[in-house]
Amino acid sequence: MRGIGAIIALDMKRFAQDRVRLITGLIQPLLYLFVLGSGLGSSMNIRPVGAALAGAAGASTAGDYRSFIFPGVISLALLFAATFASITIVFDRQIGFFKAVLVSPVSRPAIAVGKVVSGALQALAQGFLLLCFLPFMKIHPGWDGALLAIPAMILAALTFSAMGVAIASRFTSTTVFPIMTNALILPMFFLSGAMYPLQPAPGWMKTLAHLDPVAYAVDLIRGALLGREHMFFSSPWLCITVLVIFIAVLTWSAMRVFVRGEELDLTGPTQFSWRR
Amino acid sequence: MSAAYVSVPAVEVVGLVKNYGKVEALRGIDLNVGGGEMFALLGPNGAGKTTLFSILSTLRTPTAGTARVLGRDVVTERDATRRDIGIVFQEPAIERSLTVRDNLRLMGRLYGLDAKGVRQRTGELLEQLQLTEAADRPAQNLSGGQRRRVELARALVTDPRVLFLDEATLGLDVEARRGFWKQVRALTHTGRTVVFATHYMEEAEVADRIALMSEGKIVALDTPRNLKSRMGGGIIRLHTADDAQAREWLVQRGYQPAPGVQPIMLEQKDPAAVVPVLLRELPVAVERVEVHAPSLEDVFVKITGRGLVDETPKAPAGRGAWGGRP
Repeated sequence: MRGIGAIIALDMKRFAQDRVRLITGLIQPLLYLFVLGSGLGSSMNIRPVGAALAGAAGASTAGDYRSFIFPGVISLALLFAATFASITIVFDRQIGFFKAVLVSPVSRPAIAVGKVVSGALQALAQGFLLLCFLPFMKIHPGWDGALLAIPAMILAALTFSAMGVAIASRFTSTTVFPIMTNALILPMFFLSGAMYPLQPAPGWMKTLAHLDPVAYAVDLIRGALLGREHMFFSSPWLCITVLVIFIAVLTWSAMRVFVRGEELDLTGPTQFSWRR
Repeated sequence: MSAAYVSVPAVEVVGLVKNYGKVEALRGIDLNVGGGEMFALLGPNGAGKTTLFSILSTLRTPTAGTARVLGRDVVTERDATRRDIGIVFQEPAIERSLTVRDNLRLMGRLYGLDAKGVRQRTGELLEQLQLTEAADRPAQNLSGGQRRRVELARALVTDPRVLFLDEATLGLDVEARRGFWKQVRALTHTGRTVVFATHYMEEAEVADRIALMSEGKIVALDTPRNLKSRMGGGIIRLHTADDAQAREWLVQRGYQPAPGVQPIMLEQKDPAAVVPVLLRELPVAVERVEVHAPSLEDVFVKITGRGLVDETPKAPAGRGAWGGRP
């Protein structure tokens, strides 16, 4: 347990010093929210959000769309921050403290769990900063809704972080970042229904969304902030169950990399000139 | 210190082979390092020193053969091995943005020390390695020599009985290197075993024994004195206007220039008597003559036909990790 704590403490100290990353990490989500959200929103017909909560029917506006994608944009921030945190593993085990971690007697599963948790915490820092924009939205989830959003975000962050660690730790080269972003993160994000309602989407997209952990995360956060009637999967418990299964399987998979890495030479220094 | 501790070799390697795909990094290493010994691996880049350390420090598994540290198999008893060893890598393994103290504390926590133990051990090490003054500065603001001392402190946090140093002084100036080795020698006085890799022969001289490594093999293993006594008397190095012709002439006259070594290298019992003869009788112009007592490099050259320092300089540590890879 001390080992897990030390791994998390290391990442937290580093993260705390890297304020630039925290701030610049907000740029992309805010662009989606205010630029894309306002631009697309004025030509879109979204069921007025908050209507059910406020008890009043009204016409759809740009503000409605912006509010609709707000949970999706929070998911985006969590997704990117968690992925970025996991990618540092690739650099760190070649030059960095993480190499010293690998020769320490900390159990390999503990290293994996430590990395998953620390990635999730870094993502949540980003996500909570975005949540502060809630008053600018047309949503009034009330205290209970906002409080429900927090565990939903924690589940989402753990899912994305476990996914990042399970995948990034399998790479030994620094090309990992564009590969993960283009081949995995963006497709998952686009299919998740973060930027549009999934209900009217074509059937194949709905099918794919059912396989996409990001879709469940977005849906759960949306359910908390906008109300259950805006959910695609309709049941928060379904989302929670699916996310917990994803977290368990992906964390297990990440553990396997660190345990098996020793046999497969995936971990450790790749400093041998003849390999380059 | 129990009798068992003394009788178990600190490092015991038998028939160790490591292949990376088609590349044979280690081609059958046999090695025994006694408890408390200061042991050097001397060889050029690519000799397999780092690979040997990665296996001994549990980061990589051997293709064939076994390796034991303090009697424990480094593959099947990995966790026990990890508790017993400390290693300074060629590349940095400290967190540059964190202070020296934070680096050491985190390391202590990784090894399961409690808060009090961590504080105490960190304090001791900072003092011992003369880092107290730099303790609260981020590691990236330290000099190269200080940073390497931090690496050493990091490796020593758990007071390991066996310490591995892989080219630990790479890139340091002479003074910083001297300071670093002074610290390391002080460590062996406490009965700790130190195994270090280097391609600086003057660093290897301080070892109790040296293994000369070339192309994944140990080509000689002995004390520095015995290794050097393999060379009789002294070394003559000849720089001539036409080395090929000079070599031919020397061979005809019954001299034995080391094959393929540039400049021409002659091993002679009594160089002082031979040099005047050579200068008088060689049919080619002699540009320069050097006579010196045999060094470890001469021994290495004699055995392998190659120098210790590669002509192609290695990329600075860490560049490959960040830089463009195909």
